[in-house]
Amino acid sequence: MDHAGFIFASYIAAFGGSAALAWYVVRRGRALGRQLPDEDKPWI
Amino acid sequence: MSERQRPGREQPRQHEQHEQHEQHEQHGNEDSAHVATTQTPLTGPGSAATSPVGNGAGTGTRFTRILGALTLVAMGVLALFALVISPPDVVQGETVRILYAHVGTVWVAYLAFVVTAVSSAAYLWKRTSSLTWDRIAGASAEIGVLFMAITLLTGSLWGRITWGTFWVWDARVTTTAFLFITYIGYLAVRGLGGTHQQRARRSAVVALLAVLEIPLVHFSVRIWRSVHQDASVATGNTDVKLDDTMLFTLLLATVAFSMLYVWYVLHRQRVLHLQDLLDDKGLDLALAERRSEGRPDASAAAPTTAASTPTATVSAASTVPTKDPVS
Repeated sequence: MDHAGFIFASYIAAFGGSAALAWYVVRRGRALGRQLPDEDKPWI
Repeated sequence: MSERQRPGREQPRQHEQHEQHEQHEQHGNEDSAHVATTQTPLTGPGSAATSPVGNGAGTGTRFTRILGALTLVAMGVLALFALVISPPDVVQGETVRILYAHVGTVWVAYLAFVVTAVSSAAYLWKRTSSLTWDRIAGASAEIGVLFMAITLLTGSLWGRITWGTFWVWDARVTTTAFLFITYIGYLAVRGLGGTHQQRARRSAVVALLAVLEIPLVHFSVRIWRSVHQDASVATGNTDVKLDDTMLFTLLLATVAFSMLYVWYVLHRQRVLHLQDLLDDKGLDLALAERRSEGRPDASAAAPTTAASTPTATVSAASTVPTKDPVS
């Protein structure tokens, strides 16, 4: 595959960036969720 | 979603509690020195920071878990098609594979910025005004900024191969960078401080102005002479000159990234909801501690003029000797 480095770098940026944000959001939600009672979480 | 959108699913106590929070945000905080975006740590005996009060549940639900699993599957299939199954382009060769990620991410960035504007308008409209709209707008803008950054990066890598340089001051590229910087500014405005309502109002105005740049970005390749290629699929006619597998991969990219976007917004706006609640509770706790510090001294010095406001309590306490005058 020509330019494989550029192509894989693009997908690492796209998938890696998405995964990093997903990890951060879930982790932050759990950390904050531990500090509040379930009554404050209308989605539960 | 918000307490106002799903009142039927809540217990009466919950509903009452959330209404109090909304009222507190709408009225009480206007006069206070509450900084909405500062995460006030809950310290002190028995506070939330020292002892978990919930069952550890985060922002996930059954729906988001199913959506997350489906998104993972869709992303896996997309990677398979984009990197392996779809054929190389006649002109661009293998480089076309970058465009599946590029188009998918820019689509989500546009979608996120439009949702930010619509949510901001819904917040500003009195009939639907709720901080939930503001949180959706903020969550959507954050995701849009991330995907716009990925778009610029993937476009830059594609440009290095195709144009021979990572960056050109082309109309499309420049306006896209300008849009990206504008929404970084929007996020900065959200972080300026003030009450939740102040944050929501000022950022909603910025969002409604910022979204006007999107048509400029989209039509820049037609308005000005540009080295960036014009639309390949959304051309306005039904005769799309694209290989079926390539077209499928392109559409799959937009669907997969859109699913990811929905998953993000659901989680992120719930995180913002929790942050706002912790801000409020941190303020309440700080005020309560301040009152409890001043009350015994104030009552000992002047029991008939017991202060009813925090300011008066503090000023009364500051004039009283620290030692008990009787002893």
